[in-house]
Amino acid sequence: MDSFILQTLNGISYSALLFLLASGFTLTFGLMRIVNMAHGAYYLFGGYVGLMVAKSTGSLALAMVSGGIASVIVGQIVDRLFIRRTGEDHLAQVLVTVGVAYIIGDVSLKTWGGDAQKLPLPLDLRGIWELPGGIIYPKFRVLLTLIGILTGIGLWFIYKRTQIGAAIRAGVDDREMVSATGIHVDRLFILISALASFLAGVSGVLGGAFLTVYPGAEWEILVFALVVVIVGGLGSLEGAMIGAVIVGLLDAYGRWLAPELSYFVLFGPMAILLLYRPRGLFGSVHIA
Amino acid sequence: MMGPQPALEVRHVTKDFGGLRAVDSVSLTVAVGERRVLIGPNGAGKTSLFHCISGAHTISGGEIHCFGNLISHMPEYERAAIGIGRTFQISSVFLGLTVLENIQIAALGTHERKWDLWRRPDQITGIDGLCRKVLEEVGLLDRSQRQLSSLSYGERRQLELGLALVNRPKLLLLDEPCAGLSPAERQRLFSLIKELPRTITIVMIEHDMDVALGLADQVTVLHRGRKIVEGSADQIKEDPQVREVYFGEV
Amino acid sequence: MTNLKKVLALAALGLMLAWPFITGDYLTGLMTQILIFGLLALSADLLLGHAGLFSLCHASFFSVAAYTAAILQVRYQVPVEVSAICGVLSGTLLGLIFGLSVRTRGVYFILVTLAMGYVVWGIGYRWASFTGGDSGVTGVAAFSLFGFSFSSPKSYYFVVLFVVSALIAVYAHLTASPFGLALRGIKSSEPRMRSLGFNPAKHLYVAFVISSVMASIAGVLYVYFNKFVNPVSASLHVSVDSVLMAIVGGSGSLFGSFIGSAIVLWLRNWVSTFIELHLAVMGLVFIAVVLWAPGGLMGWVHKVTSKSSREMS
Repeated sequence: MDSFILQTLNGISYSALLFLLASGFTLTFGLMRIVNMAHGAYYLFGGYVGLMVAKSTGSLALAMVSGGIASVIVGQIVDRLFIRRTGEDHLAQVLVTVGVAYIIGDVSLKTWGGDAQKLPLPLDLRGIWELPGGIIYPKFRVLLTLIGILTGIGLWFIYKRTQIGAAIRAGVDDREMVSATGIHVDRLFILISALASFLAGVSGVLGGAFLTVYPGAEWEILVFALVVVIVGGLGSLEGAMIGAVIVGLLDAYGRWLAPELSYFVLFGPMAILLLYRPRGLFGSVHIA
Repeated sequence: MMGPQPALEVRHVTKDFGGLRAVDSVSLTVAVGERRVLIGPNGAGKTSLFHCISGAHTISGGEIHCFGNLISHMPEYERAAIGIGRTFQISSVFLGLTVLENIQIAALGTHERKWDLWRRPDQITGIDGLCRKVLEEVGLLDRSQRQLSSLSYGERRQLELGLALVNRPKLLLLDEPCAGLSPAERQRLFSLIKELPRTITIVMIEHDMDVALGLADQVTVLHRGRKIVEGSADQIKEDPQVREVYFGEV
Repeated sequence: MTNLKKVLALAALGLMLAWPFITGDYLTGLMTQILIFGLLALSADLLLGHAGLFSLCHASFFSVAAYTAAILQVRYQVPVEVSAICGVLSGTLLGLIFGLSVRTRGVYFILVTLAMGYVVWGIGYRWASFTGGDSGVTGVAAFSLFGFSFSSPKSYYFVVLFVVSALIAVYAHLTASPFGLALRGIKSSEPRMRSLGFNPAKHLYVAFVISSVMASIAGVLYVYFNKFVNPVSASLHVSVDSVLMAIVGGSGSLFGSFIGSAIVLWLRNWVSTFIELHLAVMGLVFIAVVLWAPGGLMGWVHKVTSKSSREMS
């Protein structure tokens, strides 16, 4: 039983990380109809930048912020130079952003080497906490989960309750109408894109502490985030939340019960969904 | 209804989209060989009704019969085989292919050799002749090798009609076939439609009253998803409800 | 085909037949690889260029077929001919299952196939007790048929050339047939196709399975060339490469995939001699091709040759 609870907690903390990455991806698609396969590379790049900052300052907060900002900068460059030129052509977007991801990945490899590196945590975040019920769990993972939850609540609030959120939701459905009302759609897009990259960078830093940063991490985490999005439905925030929990838990249980075949576990929910609900739990019909 | 089986029988068909009722318990019966025109202001539900008949939409309630077959829940792609053909309001031809290829695809839709993985379409008996015939009928024979990008909009509408005619439909649903055409093109396409044999039953959505009146045996008027009036062209022209719907709303 | 095209085709065929005799083992090996990966690209292009579906899981069929043929022969001493056939069958079986993905379209399809492909890679990597993990399966024997062993680069080159040529001929018929035409119709307008009596889901599924057969054959050809197989063969890179090759050469054409394969493999070969960042260079090539030459090489050729024919009409 203890093991089960432990694995559940592992799953939940991984879900938090996945949500941070997947939410940006799904919002970018939901609002701007952009598929950005470089999202994982933003995670990687942010992670490495955060790694350097954490090593020199010892502060996780600084690392997160700098990782986030680094990703935002890269993201804006990629947007302007490349993604803008692809229009609505998803195929082109996928290929171009994969190309960008290759570039970022290779440059990162050259710059930071091929070894897996763990982000050093500040002293007061190392170690364990005792949770209600007598379970002991690493402090950092609890923090990660909290960050995930808070981000989720924050995004939810912005999305559902504010004017910006209303504009975003309207923009998802009808871009022309939104611009007709005087809201600067372009600025909105930049904001969303920056937010998504920031979250990717931050999750890279947190992932660096949780899992280590290594070449190839950008694809591994991206695939998981994509499964989250497929399960939850492209463009849906709630979908990203629930999808993240499902994928995170299944991954944890899979690794625990059948480590060699744990990837099968990823495939399971996807296959079931494909059979009964191809657009995902909360996806809308017109997107696919 | 006395006499032979109707071509189309729509009984209390309803189509809901979440909270919106696009088609509200519409009933109509079209006799074999008849020319029925559906008119009504924008948003009246005419195209939605067409989608219900052709199978593009699943109906929320009611029944649809076609030549005696109950087709209410028949998948869209099976309806071509029982003789339903249609055109779309927004030009729906195969861009990126030639005119001939467009017609060939249409010819293969209900053909026994649809699943041929080896021979070219023009090597299949009958396809060539069928394609030529239809291209001739819609006046595009000399354009058969052209890419669609080089066709005018009017020619695309002609092709659109051709695609629907290839399979010798028994029930032809035309959704504003002449929309967006110049007066000369409208004339041309319209006379094409008028010349179609009475073995084909035609139901046509039309915005232009005069066009409608020139063709129709009967006219059905829809408004906000409901059928409000039905009758001969002259009756409809004089009907006070129709006048209000068309002119009162301006 | 016009006379010019016929002459070019014959010249190309002549060159291909003479290749091992006019070049050494290294270049013969390179050309063998070009043919194998060109076939993989062609399999992906059946979906991309004709049906409009961008698949990122074709490396899975390639890899599973290779692993099956390898494991059967190396570990269970199953004769090469039988292992090869089983390889193709296993890749096809996977194709029958992954074909589920055609229930999605557009972006979803891309993501789903990417995830599926990754799962296969992950299993190849983690199920070390069966797949050999990181090191994969080594010591695969040379291809042999009824006792005749094709162990030299030259002889195996001709095996590959023969198989690939035969498949190209089949592919030519397939894509020119009503089935191929239907795929292009589906790519252009699915609603239209349904109204004409086609069930797009069925067509797409069949196309997917056929392309998995082709990718599996490429995988089997690969394993006898390489003499070993590891999880890299199932990686996203390989799937992305195959699509890139199809696009660079000209998606939707018969030979574009092979031209693209030649360009990409040669480029990679050449670039890696002086830069280590070859993936970054590939990334730049992607971006450049997609943004500035989306029709690929064949598309460019078409544009140039049809300009002159357009001027006549």
